[in-house]
Amino acid sequence: MSDVKLQNVTKRFDSTLAVDDVSLEIGDGEVLGIVGPSGCGKTTSLRLVAGFETATDGSILYDGEDVTHVPPENRNVGLVFQSYALFNNMTVLGNVTFGPKMQGVGKAERRERAQELLDLLDIGELADRDPQTLSGGQQRRVGLARALAIEPRILLLDEPMTGLDAKLKQTLRQELGDLLDELGVTTLYVTHDQEQAMSMCDRIAVMNEGVVEQVGTPSEVYESPENEFVANFVGTSNLLQGTIRDGRVDFGFTELDAEGLPERDDATIAVRPDDFTVGEGPITAEVQNLFYLGEKVQALATLDDGTELTLELDRHRDSVSVGDALALDIDATHLHVIRQ
Amino acid sequence: MGSRFESGSLSARYGRQFVTLVLAATLVFLALPVVLTFVSSFAGEWVGALPSGFVTLENWNDVIVGTGVGADASVGSSLAYSAGLALAGVLINLIVGVPIAYAVARYEFWGRDWVNVFAILPLAPGIILGIAFLRTYPDLSTSGIALVIGYSLLKAPYMVMAVQSSFQSMDLQQIEESARSLGASWPRTFLTVIVPNAKAGIIAGSIISWTLAAAEFNFSYIVYSRGTPPLSIFLFNNITNASFLNAAAAVSVFFLLIALVTISLQIVGNRGAVRRL
Amino acid sequence: MGADADVAGRGVLARIGGTLSSLVFPVSERQRERRRIVVLCLPFLALLAFSGVFPLTEMFRISFSEARLTTEGFTLEYYRQLVVDPYYRTIAVNTLWFAAATTVASIAVAVPVAHSLEKYDLPGKSVMLTVLSFPNSLPGIVAAFMIIVLFGNTGIITNFIAALSGQSPIDLAIATSVLGLFFAYLYSMIPRALLLLRGTYAEVNTDAEEAARSLGASPLKTFWYVTLPQIKPGLIGAFVLVFRTALAIFGTILILKSLLVWTLQIDREIAQGFNIAQASAMATVWFVFVFAFTLLALKYTSAEVSI
Repeated sequence: MSDVKLQNVTKRFDSTLAVDDVSLEIGDGEVLGIVGPSGCGKTTSLRLVAGFETATDGSILYDGEDVTHVPPENRNVGLVFQSYALFNNMTVLGNVTFGPKMQGVGKAERRERAQELLDLLDIGELADRDPQTLSGGQQRRVGLARALAIEPRILLLDEPMTGLDAKLKQTLRQELGDLLDELGVTTLYVTHDQEQAMSMCDRIAVMNEGVVEQVGTPSEVYESPENEFVANFVGTSNLLQGTIRDGRVDFGFTELDAEGLPERDDATIAVRPDDFTVGEGPITAEVQNLFYLGEKVQALATLDDGTELTLELDRHRDSVSVGDALALDIDATHLHVIRQ
Repeated sequence: MGSRFESGSLSARYGRQFVTLVLAATLVFLALPVVLTFVSSFAGEWVGALPSGFVTLENWNDVIVGTGVGADASVGSSLAYSAGLALAGVLINLIVGVPIAYAVARYEFWGRDWVNVFAILPLAPGIILGIAFLRTYPDLSTSGIALVIGYSLLKAPYMVMAVQSSFQSMDLQQIEESARSLGASWPRTFLTVIVPNAKAGIIAGSIISWTLAAAEFNFSYIVYSRGTPPLSIFLFNNITNASFLNAAAAVSVFFLLIALVTISLQIVGNRGAVRRL
Repeated sequence: MGADADVAGRGVLARIGGTLSSLVFPVSERQRERRRIVVLCLPFLALLAFSGVFPLTEMFRISFSEARLTTEGFTLEYYRQLVVDPYYRTIAVNTLWFAAATTVASIAVAVPVAHSLEKYDLPGKSVMLTVLSFPNSLPGIVAAFMIIVLFGNTGIITNFIAALSGQSPIDLAIATSVLGLFFAYLYSMIPRALLLLRGTYAEVNTDAEEAARSLGASPLKTFWYVTLPQIKPGLIGAFVLVFRTALAIFGTILILKSLLVWTLQIDREIAQGFNIAQASAMATVWFVFVFAFTLLALKYTSAEVSI
């Protein structure tokens, strides 16, 4: 295990700037997630760390050692792809022992190590099977075991759960999270799915157009988004204009106490859908639409002045229907001013 | 409106019959002479409408042992010679065909489309290449080397296409990158992971290009000068010089060879299909 | 001015040197990848150069040679012959119309056959496919023999028609006539056309066809307005490649001898007096024509390239 650093890394493909002056640090044993929309540069960042792309500028350090120009086969990184990319010409055991074999580990030892890993992942009995005969979930574990077998300095996961159904995703998320905790492997987790990243990673980096917009723990990023992009990408935000003066915030349609918010005349304030209290309050909004999102129900409502609000209904979901006028209040404790 | 309805009903009623009839006629046209040739190779004579004098192995005996007239040599030596030449051609095809198929399937590069066109379209047919070889490599033609390198160029496209079809069902980039992240150098990745994964296509390509090389007539006819004739020249000598029934037996030897190859290809194909599940 | 050019020249040299050294000693992953591509393409390009480009270039040079047995001097005599001599013009015309006619005929047969294989639920389909692809492995001389078996003096169809009409089989045998040759060409070309068209047919969007049928179009109209536009690129590609095949046929005609076409004449130049320069000129014309024709066809039709 190592700590991995990207220092002012830039990657240019012909005329497009895929990664623009990115600096990130992944601590020893830490799980860092990179999230962002497709084309934001997150996969390129992962490939730079793995060595499949060479940085145009800047450097990549493993434990302080510059590996920018070291080819991937000499970096000792574990890589798990969305499609698992198992070697179908080998058995499961052959797949898992492949890496140690390349490292020159003796036959008996690498078999033993592989079997241990397979047991750890609950697929010990599949060692002699042909990978093509396994289920998707089993193949995924084999892919993970194969990557872990080389005792990688860093584990790289590229969208490892995309394309699975919601239920399986949840089980695997739990499992993988526990496993990473247990093994204490330094991990870089790349996904477009912010929910997954929030639930599995120690810290997340939000990328957009090649630039890191914000790095922080999941709660920091969720509670204190630094800009509009982060506020909108990580969860849903209502970005409202307001004036903050004398410890009070004035939204125009309502006014409330706002201790600790910086004084400003034209502030953009992020209000999360769950910051609204529904049922009583000074604000009145008309429900335009209802969205059933699994466990949650969100409502789209408009104020008299036309402002659209997205808000969460939990206890009240049965009593609300489209066209209703809702009484609302805003819970000021989580309000966050976006830095301009 | 009325006419459209009529034409519609016409094709609805007779279209299928017509199409099936074309299929049946084509099948008969292609299969009947093959069957007749094989059957008549066991006949004593064929003067009237149908061959007669069954069953004799005389024609086969003439072909396999050789008669000393007409078809001067026996099929054995030609078959062995052609098999060897074609095998050498396949070896070259493996060395040139598998890498280029991988380059085109895996990497993006400038001129890739053109490389692909040259890899899967024969540059020139047998007769043209034969003329080109006559004066360029006069010394090679007697030793069979000219035949081997000619065959390998002529049949390389079949190898490339068969291997490419195997590669198309694999996620080459992720497989290659997985192996390399596990510490395998690129050459090692290519040889121990990529090539074994494309086994079905490589075997199929080898069988196809071997058969076509063994059967290549146009190029052999122009380039071949003396010594043991390749199989196709042997067939030609039989068809033009030997009795009809001897020729039928000689062609039947060739049919058996193709049948054998077809069966083995299907075995490879089926195993490939099972493995892909 | 001169100094500038010198600097620029050195710049180019440095760049070429840089590219070369990055191929030999790559530092970035991109450069390593480039080296791999070169290594992968090299064996094929070597074979292409050694047994394709170099012999064809020699052939091209010989076709301008004044001397008989060595490549010396420069003359356009052999090409002049091809243009001026009506003998060669007749051969060219024969070759082209015959190849075009057989191509159209084999595709006309292959379309319904491919259609039935793709759309109809037929018993014994795998056997049919074997029969239909079997001739792809047969050399042209065997195709010719097949035609002799069917249409020769003792041919089964000849005798069948003779029995029906009461005429002598000798008068009815068409194996060594132009019509017999036509069938011999089809014997090689129908399976080839079929191979190409089946690939095309497999990609036809059947939903659109079913939609057309449900809107009241007859099978023929559905084929004409829905299926045909979809297989059109494949048809054009098949036409190009099957036409190439037809032009390259040699063994078949060497046995049946019923029409003097370009490839047969090339052989005759060699066989009758070893006139290699004339044969080379003819082969060069053939090569240039087919090469240009294929390139143009592929460029302007975006037809799928396959054999």
